[in-house]
Amino acid sequence: MGEFRDRWTAVGLEHQVEPGSSNPAIVDGHPLAIWRGENGQPNIWHDRCPHRGMRLSFGFVRGDTLRCIYHGWGYESGGQCVSIPAHPELTPPKTICAKVYPATTRYGILWTNLADEPSSPLPDLGPEEGWHPLRSLYVNCPAETTADRLRGADCGVPDAKAGNGGDGIATIETGSGLTLLIAIQAVGADKAGLHVVARGEDARASGQRLELARKMQRLRCALEAQ
Amino acid sequence: MAVTTDQVVLNEWVACGWHGQVPMGQSYDTVIFGQEICVSRKGAEEYEVAVIEENGATGRTLPVQVRYTCIFTTLGNPTRPLPVIAEFDEDDRRIIGCGSVGVRTSPYRIIENFLDMAHFSFVHTNVLGAPDQTEVLAYKTEHRKDVDEIWALDCKFYQPAASTASAGGQMTDYVYRVMSPFSVMLYKNVFGDPARNDAICLFVQPMAETECLAYMPMALVDEISTPEGIIDFQQGIFLQDRIILENQRPTLLPLDPTIELPTRADASSIAFRRWLKAMNLQFGIYEKQAA
Ligand code: FES
Ligand SMILES: [Fe+2]
Repeated sequence: MGEFRDRWTAVGLEHQVEPGSSNPAIVDGHPLAIWRGENGQPNIWHDRCPHRGMRLSFGFVRGDTLRCIYHGWGYESGGQCVSIPAHPELTPPKTICAKVYPATTRYGILWTNLADEPSSPLPDLGPEEGWHPLRSLYVNCPAETTADRLRGADCGVPDAKAGNGGDGIATIETGSGLTLLIAIQAVGADKAGLHVVARGEDARASGQRLELARKMQRLRCALEAQ
Repeated sequence: MAVTTDQVVLNEWVACGWHGQVPMGQSYDTVIFGQEICVSRKGAEEYEVAVIEENGATGRTLPVQVRYTCIFTTLGNPTRPLPVIAEFDEDDRRIIGCGSVGVRTSPYRIIENFLDMAHFSFVHTNVLGAPDQTEVLAYKTEHRKDVDEIWALDCKFYQPAASTASAGGQMTDYVYRVMSPFSVMLYKNVFGDPARNDAICLFVQPMAETECLAYMPMALVDEISTPEGIIDFQQGIFLQDRIILENQRPTLLPLDPTIELPTRADASSIAFRRWLKAMNLQFGIYEKQAA
C-alpha cells in the first residue's frame, strides 16, 4: 500500500494502443496491461489476472471486455469480472476484480497515476490542440537523470533550447517555432521511456514529422553515453 | 545458488534426468533444490548420483532409482516411496519418454497447470478444448490418506482432438492423481476402447524455486501412432503451457486463497494448495510481504 507516488506518468503514445489490443508496459518496475476496447476507451490495469496471476497483457479483447488468455475470464472497463467460461451459467462474484488505474489522454500521450488515491493534477503545458505524435524511444538511462541529460542533448534540430515542463517532462524549443514535448516514463532503475510529441509549423506535414522522429534517435546516444 | 533448507521438500524423491540421456560410461551435471549433482551412467540401467561440493569435489552419493523412463534421486530421507504406476508394467503398453523441457516458474505452478481442465479451450484451442465448449462439469476431489495423494475423479471435458490416435471430437474422461508435490499423472480414456486408460505422467525436477525441468513419460494404448508423432503432440501441447507458466505473477505459488481467486473448476488446485499448506513446505511458495 502507498507504494507509489501521487504523480502522473506517461506510459505511451495514445495512437499506439490499437483498438482491440492489449499491450504490456512497466512503470517503476510495476507491470501494466494497456488495452482498448471497441468503444475506444483506453484502460490501464495491473498486468495480473486475479484468478491465477496470468499477465493480462497477453489477453485478447472482445467488444469492450478484456479476456484473459489462460482461462478466458472476461473483465469490463471497471475491472469487474463478468464471465467465467468454465461456468457459463455463473454470475461472477463482485469480489473478482482486476486492479484498475486511471487512464487519461493529453497532448496525444497516455498518462496514468499509480497512487492509491491520485489527486495531483495532470501535467499542464497549455492547450491540448496542435500536438502531433512523433515517436516513443526506450533508453538505458535512469528516468531522473534523463531530464537533466536532455538539456544538453543534441537532437539534430537547429537552435534548440531545452526547457523543463515539470516532473517527468522535458521540452525543447527551436527558433522556428517548433516545440517538442518529451514525457519521461520511469521503467526500471536503469531504463526510461521517452514519448515525444511536437507542435508548430515545422511539425505540420507528415514528412517533417517522420524526419523529426528519425532525428530523435540521436537522443539515445546522448542519454546512454557515459 | 543456495541449497534449500526446507527439509520437507528435501525428503521427496525427484526426477533428475531421463533414462538414456547419456550413453553408458558418461555423466552429466545438473541441479536439484539448488544443489549441484553429478549423474553417472554405470551400466545399461544403472546410475550413480553424487553431490558436487562447492569446491568442485565429489561429495556423498545419493539414493537412485530408474523408473517410468526417468532417473530419481533424493537429498533427504524420503517418507514416501516412488508411486506405483501399474500401467508402465503392462505388456502391450507403448512406453514413451519425452525428454525434458525447461520452465522458469515454481514447480507447483507446473503441477497445477497439468491438473487444470479450464484452460484447454483457450490454451490448446481446437485440440484439447473447443472454443464453444468451455464448461467444466462438477468433479470430485479427495485426499487419499493411506497413500497421501490428491485425486480428482469423474472429470469430463469435450475434446476436438484428444490424442494422436483420435479420429474426431469426444467427451474425454479424466482421472488426476497428485503423487507428491513434484509429480502428478492423469488417466484418460482411450479412443475406441472404453475399458482402458492412457496414463500420462509429469515429473518436475525443481532446480531452484522458479527454475524447473519437466519430464512427461506416458504408457499408452495406441498401436498406430509413431513415437515421433506422439512426442511432437505432447511437446506441442507443453510448449503452449510453458508460455502461460512463465507469465504468471508471482512466479512463486501463493497458498493464501485471497491472493488468487479460485472458482469451482479449480477444485483440484484448491485441494492441492491445501495439501501443500498442511505439509508446511516453504520452497517455491510465495509469502505475502509483511505490511
Ligand atoms: S488466470 Fe486469468 S482466467 Fe485464469
Ligand atoms: Fe495445458
